[in-house]
Amino acid sequence: MVSLILRNMARAALGLVVLVALTPILWTTLGAFKQLRDIVTPIPKLFFTPTLENFATILGNPTIRDGLVNSVIVVAVAVGIGAALGIPAAHTLARHARRYGDDVQFFVLSLRFMPPVAIAIPFIVIYLDLGIYDSLGGLILVYLVTTISTVIWLAVPAFDRVPREIEEAAAMEGCTEAEVFWRFSLPIAAPSLFGALVFTFVLVWNELLLALTLAAQNATLPVVAASITSLGKEVPWGVINAATVVLVLPPLVFIGLLMGLINTMVRGGGRAKG
Amino acid sequence: MTRQRFIFLSLAPALTVLGLLAAISTAGAVWFSVMNRALRSPDYEYVGFYNYLRLLRDKRFFNALEISLIWELITVTGTLAVAILLAVLVHETVKRPLWRNLICFAFLAPVLLPRVAAAFIWRFLYSPSLGLANWFADLFGIGPIEFLADPSIALVSVAVVDIWQWGLFFTVILVKLLETLPRDPIEAAMLDNARVWEIHAYVTLPMLKGPLISLVLVKAVESLRSFDLIFVMTGGGPGTATETLDLYAYQTGINLGGRVSYASAMSILLLIATTLAFTLIWRAGRKWSR
Repeated sequence: MVSLILRNMARAALGLVVLVALTPILWTTLGAFKQLRDIVTPIPKLFFTPTLENFATILGNPTIRDGLVNSVIVVAVAVGIGAALGIPAAHTLARHARRYGDDVQFFVLSLRFMPPVAIAIPFIVIYLDLGIYDSLGGLILVYLVTTISTVIWLAVPAFDRVPREIEEAAAMEGCTEAEVFWRFSLPIAAPSLFGALVFTFVLVWNELLLALTLAAQNATLPVVAASITSLGKEVPWGVINAATVVLVLPPLVFIGLLMGLINTMVRGGGRAKG
Repeated sequence: MTRQRFIFLSLAPALTVLGLLAAISTAGAVWFSVMNRALRSPDYEYVGFYNYLRLLRDKRFFNALEISLIWELITVTGTLAVAILLAVLVHETVKRPLWRNLICFAFLAPVLLPRVAAAFIWRFLYSPSLGLANWFADLFGIGPIEFLADPSIALVSVAVVDIWQWGLFFTVILVKLLETLPRDPIEAAMLDNARVWEIHAYVTLPMLKGPLISLVLVKAVESLRSFDLIFVMTGGGPGTATETLDLYAYQTGINLGGRVSYASAMSILLLIATTLAFTLIWRAGRKWSR
């Protein structure tokens, strides 16, 4: 009897936590379709006549449109280069350079320790002096620190899990190291690698500080979103909510992939997250 | 020979780019920290350790240092506590795989949100006049709470958002880790009539010591990147109640004063402190988890 009550209480508590997890997101989505007078009510409104006005404002605003385009360019190029340089390096670290592997991995991880301001402040001055301040190329260059290091960090465990026998058999057949990598290791590790790239994508897509300091005019979406609050006198809550929804959508699409990544990481002995 | 070349060709580009960028930014920060460079004028001269000495007498710097430490402490312990409690709760109450997966999906959603978006979402919820949080508070008869404008609770209010994102994310990881544990020791404990919490406190969690230490390290590193959240939610305010070191460095170096050199000195100290701390934790973590 007591255990039954306890179990139901535990279930109720869990239900409450799920509510806490999702309500903020759903509430904001709802707010994106509200008119301002439906938002500014003393009692929260669950039913209202929906409007697409907020999204129209967002997509009609040239700053926000440019921000979206800039974000897509910067993130695509930075993640692309990060993958092209990081994945082969990770494979070599996992397979051929075990001796130095730990030190190199620590170096890569230590780049994540670097406070973003410690990167931003020197680069803002260097870029000003070189005349490439406020350019997308400059921002991409700095983002390479994040993308390459994150790709290596997550791809080494992915290659660790590729069965050695397959690579050895391929080498016996006369494949060179490059062929083994390209024709066997890469396709086998591909699912986990894809997860790693998605994680990297989310990191850069969400980045604010470097974009804010290094590309003030050619801003990315987070910078634009962060500046919306100062549009006009009245706080345009509906527009803010709509902008938040636009910003949230791309990463949220990948939720299934992130789940898969966690599953494979955990199966790999649970050490990969470190 | 070709093997050597393959190893070199695959490693060299990535490590060169990383090394160069890290070296340029570190050397740049050191260089500017001993100058008196400002953003507005291109002229500058060598001033030695002047900037560092001034930092030692800067009250706002020590305030930011204190806020940063409190922030690290609250978010790391909060995240881990939430994750461990919830993971055990999910593990014990939800047995059906379908339900478990659905809950995991719900818990993963917050961490995928851009920090800027999460900050906006919660600023909206926290709003004193039209926020959902205050409507709930009102139901319980607690007057409107100024979550972000009251200096005594502003930092905690922002930390809640961080824990909302990372605590739930780590819960999912721990739930998956608990599933991978061997059943034998747990069943042995159950035969000894151990209670549920005893099984987890003395059997399962110690078995997960290695991964838990890794999670603490990851969270501690991620907590350093609090800028986005705090910048959007409070901008460091009210006053300097939520001003962490990166926020203060940003304000002095870029936003208001443009005192690049002063901010560089600050970020160098920050860099040394974090590198030292995490190198020690990393070494200790490797030793413990073995």
